[in-house]
Amino acid sequence: MDALAQIFPGIATLFVEDPILGVVRVGLTILGFVLAYFGFKGKLEPLIMVPMGLGMIAVNCGVLFLDGGSTGTLIIDPLVSDTDDLMTAIQVNFLQPIYNFMFSNNLIACLVFMGIGARSEISFLLSRPWTCIIIAIFAELGTFVTLALGVDFFGLDPASAASVAIIGGADGPMVLFGTLMMKPELFVSVSIIAYLYLSLTYAGYPYIIKAMVPKKYRGIDIEFDMPQVSQKAKFIFIVVVCLLLCLLLPVAAPLMLSFFLGMAVKEAKILPYQELLEGGITSFSSLFLGLVLGCLCEASTILNPTVGIILILGILALAISAVGGIAGGWLMYFVGKKTSKSFNPAVGIAGISCMPTTTKLAQHAVEEENPFAIVIPIAMGCNISGVIVSAIAAGVFVATIGLVL
Amino acid sequence: MDINLYALLTYALTAVISLLVIGVIVVINKLMSRSKSKDSD
Repeated sequence: MDALAQIFPGIATLFVEDPILGVVRVGLTILGFVLAYFGFKGKLEPLIMVPMGLGMIAVNCGVLFLDGGSTGTLIIDPLVSDTDDLMTAIQVNFLQPIYNFMFSNNLIACLVFMGIGARSEISFLLSRPWTCIIIAIFAELGTFVTLALGVDFFGLDPASAASVAIIGGADGPMVLFGTLMMKPELFVSVSIIAYLYLSLTYAGYPYIIKAMVPKKYRGIDIEFDMPQVSQKAKFIFIVVVCLLLCLLLPVAAPLMLSFFLGMAVKEAKILPYQELLEGGITSFSSLFLGLVLGCLCEASTILNPTVGIILILGILALAISAVGGIAGGWLMYFVGKKTSKSFNPAVGIAGISCMPTTTKLAQHAVEEENPFAIVIPIAMGCNISGVIVSAIAAGVFVATIGLVL
Repeated sequence: MDINLYALLTYALTAVISLLVIGVIVVINKLMSRSKSKDSD
């Protein structure tokens, strides 16, 4: 029997470990398959879901007996902290170097941000700057409501509640960054749940749009003039906004630098860098982000009692932010009626900074009712504003959370 | 500090900083387009 267990440790460990752990391993393996399949079908974000699903399957199936009779994998150990143990883990676990040198210090999030920056167009923001930023402020509602709910109703301490609440900004890199700064103990569980939910927004947000914006309003076209902004002016905006945000929020400086560096490279037309950021860096960081997240979904991590609370608060944060964003869209619709500037309330969803997913969702929602309506430029402006507002919110939390501790 | 008051204050602070940032962008845009139209005159 022992020999069989040594030959097939992946199966044997299922029966040696705590039965609950075994059941959760099987459950996570199935969930990994479901996520990868829906990623393949395009129902969920394939760039993250396919590697994440496969990572979940591998880490929950590939369990073996380690020295001393304990069980584990040769993939990743996020909880190792002792220096000697860490050195051993880096030499043995194949994703450990990526986790320690790229994931847990936020480098991978910064690389994703550089790629997003290189694909962003600041002139979209300039077509209706006040509208875009007001919608983005509304779309941050979930973050602040969830913070209060987390402390008042779920008994979390303020730093934990703030870490989970940042999910409401729907900005993956910002969630990694905020949790790492405020509550590193929750880093693994919050980042897994945040990315899982961010991919689910693709499937869930259309229902919120349909529930809050009646059919006849969803087809409204938005009139706007694309401002003729010179390359020089755009470059100066980027540098000044980067300077301003770093000055106001030093804690968010790494992410701000990464995002605006991507934008600056694009406007400065440094083609080799632009190609590198848009292609290689974005693909590399998305692939390993998804893979590491999947491999962090071990049964023992998921069984942490706080995970249940994070699951509830995470989805609440995203749902409230969506409601806030669309409420902002309605506000702009009514303001637009008075100033003869039409606005489609469905575009409010793009104030959530899940870039470019929410822009695509806004365009799809509008297109279904009016195939000739193009709202992408305004939605993209709201999206960029959303990135700025969620960075500011995370920076404000990190800088001030000590006041309530 | 009460958590509800803290949430409210941080939301307000986030909104103020965001509006300030966009204000700076709008001002620069106006300045740049003014200097551009002067150049073309």
